[in-house]
Amino acid sequence: MKRYDKITPEGTRDLLFEECAAQDQVVAALSGLFSRRGYRKVVTPTLEFYDVFAESSAHFPQENMYKLCDHAGRLMVLRPDCTIPIARLAATRLKDSPLPIRLYYAENVYRVEHHLRGRASEIFQCGVELIGASGILSDLEITQLAAESLEQIGGYRMELCHIGYFKALIDSLEADDGLKETIRQEIEEKNYAALRDVLEPFGDAPAAKALLYLPRLFGGEEVFDEAYALFDHPAARQSLDYLREIYQELRTLGLERQVLIDLSLVNEADYYTGIIFRGYFDGVGEPVLSGGRYDNLIAEFGEARPATGFGINVEPLARRMEHIRHTQPPILVFCPREQFAQAVRHIRRLGQQGAAAELSTADTQQEALCQAKEQGIQRVHVITPEGEIKEVELP
Amino acid sequence: MKPIRIALTKGRLEEHSIELFERLGYDCRAVREKGRRLILPIAGTNLEVVLAKAADVVTYVENGVCDLGVVGKDTIMEHGGTFYEVADLGFGKCRFALAAPKGKDFYAGYQTKRIASKYVRVAHSFFEKKNMDVDIVKIEGSVELAPILGLSDGIVDIVETGTTLRENGLEVVETLAQVSARLIVNIASLKLRKAEIEPLLTQIEGYLKENQP
Repeated sequence: MKRYDKITPEGTRDLLFEECAAQDQVVAALSGLFSRRGYRKVVTPTLEFYDVFAESSAHFPQENMYKLCDHAGRLMVLRPDCTIPIARLAATRLKDSPLPIRLYYAENVYRVEHHLRGRASEIFQCGVELIGASGILSDLEITQLAAESLEQIGGYRMELCHIGYFKALIDSLEADDGLKETIRQEIEEKNYAALRDVLEPFGDAPAAKALLYLPRLFGGEEVFDEAYALFDHPAARQSLDYLREIYQELRTLGLERQVLIDLSLVNEADYYTGIIFRGYFDGVGEPVLSGGRYDNLIAEFGEARPATGFGINVEPLARRMEHIRHTQPPILVFCPREQFAQAVRHIRRLGQQGAAAELSTADTQQEALCQAKEQGIQRVHVITPEGEIKEVELP
Repeated sequence: MKPIRIALTKGRLEEHSIELFERLGYDCRAVREKGRRLILPIAGTNLEVVLAKAADVVTYVENGVCDLGVVGKDTIMEHGGTFYEVADLGFGKCRFALAAPKGKDFYAGYQTKRIASKYVRVAHSFFEKKNMDVDIVKIEGSVELAPILGLSDGIVDIVETGTTLRENGLEVVETLAQVSARLIVNIASLKLRKAEIEPLLTQIEGYLKENQP
């Protein structure tokens, strides 16, 4: 019995007409920007071997991946992310390419989401990776490009962090890895109460006091002074100097209102190695852009390369596209069976003039006029049995 | 301008939450005299209150249709989700506990235990951490009934005073976690509307500090 033949799986959906147009428009705007900046498009397979993601420091829990088997019984997944396949590519087929390599992608990723949360499990992402460059110019390029990407679509905010500050704090704390991970989680969630409890045993240790204050370290320029004062340590200072340089450069570009600092942005701390950033879009309750520097990832595939990049969720941006280009309704072309060739020639001519035309499938002119009326088509061209073209008024 | 929306949990936490906002000097008359309205303005401010069931508070805040929420830690633990949990409001205190029939050693024997609970996720993760395989049965109403009727060996539930447990011949075997009301904030809201939300958070924190037990 067919029970599920008229619905789509939870977390997926059909995109119709304007929805497609909106998505295409966002993707076109982003791809256009990326390629104007020298990024070249790559497409990786939707199916990858499980091993590509299984041990990754980016950490994809196995329960969040869709899995299937190939003909040899090997485990495969629907890619849950675009960056890791690109890292694989960079370490294999592109390993002898001159550096830096600039790549961009626009494809679906698949994640098993919690039941009934209204979250998509098929997510269209568009993003860039800059591979083989490690200087501050590459971090500046990527953060600026991220800001410009969102700017193209509408009102946004971007937050910046340097994972080095958090790492300096947590490394100077004498705790086991499990406890450190708990501390990291509480900071990420800005859970002040829980953070106070787990840091209590460390008393007045400067690192513990700084960690406790970390979730509050977000805002503008003033955050730096607080952060410097909170923890005086060479590695922490170095990270802050670096972050401040980027922040100030973005301000010089006029992004003072859009960019803020959040030193508690410590998600995926094992994966990121330097600058981390996220972008928010007006009216969207979750980050739409996330990115950062991940210098150790490509080495997991056997070739060490520094790298940085970001990905954007296209769907929330597409939903906010208000002015979808209004397309003219097509012209309906009716022809009797024996004038089909003439009708095609006519449609091609209209096309060359920039007008869209569709062939009527009706058997009689009257039926064609009814069809036009039902579909809101205002112009009908009729090919007469003699091959002449007439414009017919709708009744 | 778009108002800042606060979702409050209906029922057990409702009165305490409204009291908190009144002590902070907000005019909550509309919330107290809500009638059938679902969205209630706080006069003289850009704040709006929404009253919702606990799990819905989490859902609304997570999805950003409400900017802030007041909800029990029990719901957060069971429901999960991505948001900032910025303050322990100190009221609505109770705990998650594993309880079993009095005088019986819950852990004795090698057969797989059966646990009844409303909070299946909390129960699952508790036993998973102990590397213990258990069967978990979801019960919607009075969970204490399950061991009495012989459906389960124990229950995982929230315990306030322990009276209900005692009256039904059960006792606490282990406490899983402490529970109280929490203030949660949508991640994007805190970033996009920092100037409006942060002063409110500072005010609440200040109040909590002053009124520490």
